[in-house]
Amino acid sequence: MGRKVPGSYGLRALPAIILMAALFLVPAAFVFSTALRDNAAPLLATIRDGRTYSVLLFTLWQAFLSALASTAIALPFAAFFANYSFPLRKAVLALAALSFTMPTILTVLGFVIWYGNNGYLNSMLKAVFGLAGPVRILYSFKAIILAHTYLNFPIAFLLITSAWQSSASIEEKASYMLGKGRLRTFISVTLPSIWGSISSSFSMIFLFCFSSFMIVMVLGGHPRYYMLETEIYRRVYIDADIPSAAGLAVFTSVVTSALLALASWGRKEKKAHRSRRELRKARGPALAMAIIMVLLILCFLLPPTLSIIARSLISKSGDFSIGPWKKALEAGSGAIATSFAIAAIAALLASSMASSISLYAAKSGSRLLPLLSSLPLAAGSVTIGLGLLAASTALDLAPALRPLVVLLSHTIIVLPFSVRTVMPGAMKIPERLPAAAAVLGAPERKIISKVEKPLLRPYRKRAFCFAFALSLGEVNATMMISLGRITTLPVLIYDMINHYDYQGAAALGTVLLLEALAVFTIAEWGGKDHGIS
Amino acid sequence: MAYLELIDIEKKYGDFSLSLSLSADEGEFVSLIGPSGSGKSTLLSLIAGLEMPDSGRIMLAGEDITGKRIQERNIGMVFQDFTLFPSMDVGRNIQFGMKERNRKKRRDLEEKLLALVGLEGYGRRDVTSLSGGEAQRVQLARAIASEPSVLLLDEPLSALDAPMRKHLRAVIRSIHDSLGITMIYVTHDTEEAFAISDTIAIIHEGTTAGKKAAESLYRNPDSLFTAFFTGEGTAIPASAVLGEGVEGTLFFRPENVSLTEQPLDPDEYPNHIIFNGAEIISAEFTGEAYMLGLDWQGCQILARTTVKPRRRKASAMVLKAAALML
Repeated sequence: MGRKVPGSYGLRALPAIILMAALFLVPAAFVFSTALRDNAAPLLATIRDGRTYSVLLFTLWQAFLSALASTAIALPFAAFFANYSFPLRKAVLALAALSFTMPTILTVLGFVIWYGNNGYLNSMLKAVFGLAGPVRILYSFKAIILAHTYLNFPIAFLLITSAWQSSASIEEKASYMLGKGRLRTFISVTLPSIWGSISSSFSMIFLFCFSSFMIVMVLGGHPRYYMLETEIYRRVYIDADIPSAAGLAVFTSVVTSALLALASWGRKEKKAHRSRRELRKARGPALAMAIIMVLLILCFLLPPTLSIIARSLISKSGDFSIGPWKKALEAGSGAIATSFAIAAIAALLASSMASSISLYAAKSGSRLLPLLSSLPLAAGSVTIGLGLLAASTALDLAPALRPLVVLLSHTIIVLPFSVRTVMPGAMKIPERLPAAAAVLGAPERKIISKVEKPLLRPYRKRAFCFAFALSLGEVNATMMISLGRITTLPVLIYDMINHYDYQGAAALGTVLLLEALAVFTIAEWGGKDHGIS
Repeated sequence: MAYLELIDIEKKYGDFSLSLSLSADEGEFVSLIGPSGSGKSTLLSLIAGLEMPDSGRIMLAGEDITGKRIQERNIGMVFQDFTLFPSMDVGRNIQFGMKERNRKKRRDLEEKLLALVGLEGYGRRDVTSLSGGEAQRVQLARAIASEPSVLLLDEPLSALDAPMRKHLRAVIRSIHDSLGITMIYVTHDTEEAFAISDTIAIIHEGTTAGKKAAESLYRNPDSLFTAFFTGEGTAIPASAVLGEGVEGTLFFRPENVSLTEQPLDPDEYPNHIIFNGAEIISAEFTGEAYMLGLDWQGCQILARTTVKPRRRKASAMVLKAAALML
């Protein structure tokens, strides 16, 4: 239900709402108008086409398997990490958190270098077991699932660990005191308190994998493994059939919206816990288990990333060389600067917009605004890219303005994540705080700028860093819009992978990795939360 | 004419409605007491402008402030919850509402106010590091710093422990006495209200019978609700004591009851009500005395005595002048 909100909040949010609406509606309108032209022929053709459903089914199936694998693997690790303290525990959790800011292209690159036919893993297997041929992992369905699990396991791991740790163990002790065993206690007491985190991890990962693009493009390696987003891209760049791509984009948006609605339906937070769980110090068998778990996580998460750094220093023939670094940096300096500039501006715009939108939404109790800000997520970055491509073509936009279009696409793509990051902060501002400032005679603008905005600062900072990292790794819309004319860092890495210049790609990948690491460090440390987060 | 006047104020929320008139003189310390949900905090919100009445007027120093914005009312408020601004240190919180523009003078005033609330040297402290009592003192200093015409205090001590409450209520009263500021103080703690206020108004189900001095409220309550809300006592049907046909309820406080082990002759005590043959059914030691529960002909009587009774049977008497017919 809406609440009466002082005008200043609405006035401050208005430019952000207008910009958000414009940035979403313009590409959406172009995609819809293209899909609905000639009596909706492109859309009807998509709906009648049997391939649409085979691609949809495959997309749903792989998303389901990826989400299931990520969540199921995360569960035992979360159970252990939520109950025991041991050396390296925090470091492993930080490493998992780092993956939130890891661009997808780095996963792709890391996988090619580590799991590839001539990758480090195969070289090691060959040396140790004397295998004649490589163990084929990439360019298959299992490669897609493995990469999705690699990317999303940390999300499930962190969310479930956090929820498990927040659930008070006193309730479990009460169950034991009432004579219930471990299994019964887990099913009746523990599971209900962490079920929300398991289901939300699953649905979040499912949605991420449903709109996966780059992993399928590179690691799938076969048209059989095309998914909705890659199929849209194929129709634009291989078939040159934009109406058909628009028809599929509209179809995809409808399906994604339905999935988003389904994922958020019935989601409610139960919070009856009074204290966090006390971690037990791992000793004896528990310590041995801790060592095994830490090693398993490190062996799963680190090699692809570390192999990027290693490969950037080792040539094709296996010699140490930094020559390709110089070459890659020379070739990539423009891309590095472009990526940095686009990411910085897009993140600044998105976090500022998110701040105004969230504050207004929290004040007014509006559920519509956060929902509207999620629409770009439902549309998908490839569809937004397609819409902006169509708009740029229709408006005959000067090539010089294309970087601006890329920037705007990044802004609207990262906005849903920014709003989701800032919104909890805005919701946490106690109602009495602005009331106290008002009673002291402060006008609304002073209340917003001196009292409320400073409280949102840590959330804005996090939103900025998250948006920066997402924009830095964005390739889907960029590839759609750029027509090969604008090269961002991930697009250049993608090109280098396609041209088998792995050392160059690894050198630029290392730069991207360092940027992501820096952003993560800034997001996690420094600044003050003022006790409301 | 009173300094602050609430005239025929009406405010409705679902099933609850507030309907009252109340006033406070300049420099007066008025406490509003009443059970939870009686409308005390709502009343403060209406005065502060955090909420608007459905009808009625609020007059401050002869001026109608009913329609004025919060910022224009010049009313200070100390909230029950932590409402210090976490992004500012103690000093900047205090300076937030100051009307003084000169930096040096603001700083001086900040220090003066910190001294007034007993927090010298706290200016640069982080507000999130303060204890509950310190935070409430900073809230108090911050509210005073804006030089309000009236200071509203909404259960400012309710979250603190008993010794801290006692200490801070003395601080609040001494600030009131030294600055002469009009204060409206909401509490559900009767003892606190008695200790701190000039006058007290009991709010019950959204209305009040007006304010009275603490002593008068305790000694001469105008209803059984007021009588029991302000302290312990005995209420028995008047007909049980004064004879058939007498309507109403007789009320008296436990300290007005005298006990003896011997039966009493009513003729010897014409100014007293006599309860012979009462049975002691409970005896609670309260520290300074015993609170006895007596059963007299099916009626419960409360009596306070400094001596522990030795027998189960006792006679009680109450001075007629101390018993109220309600």
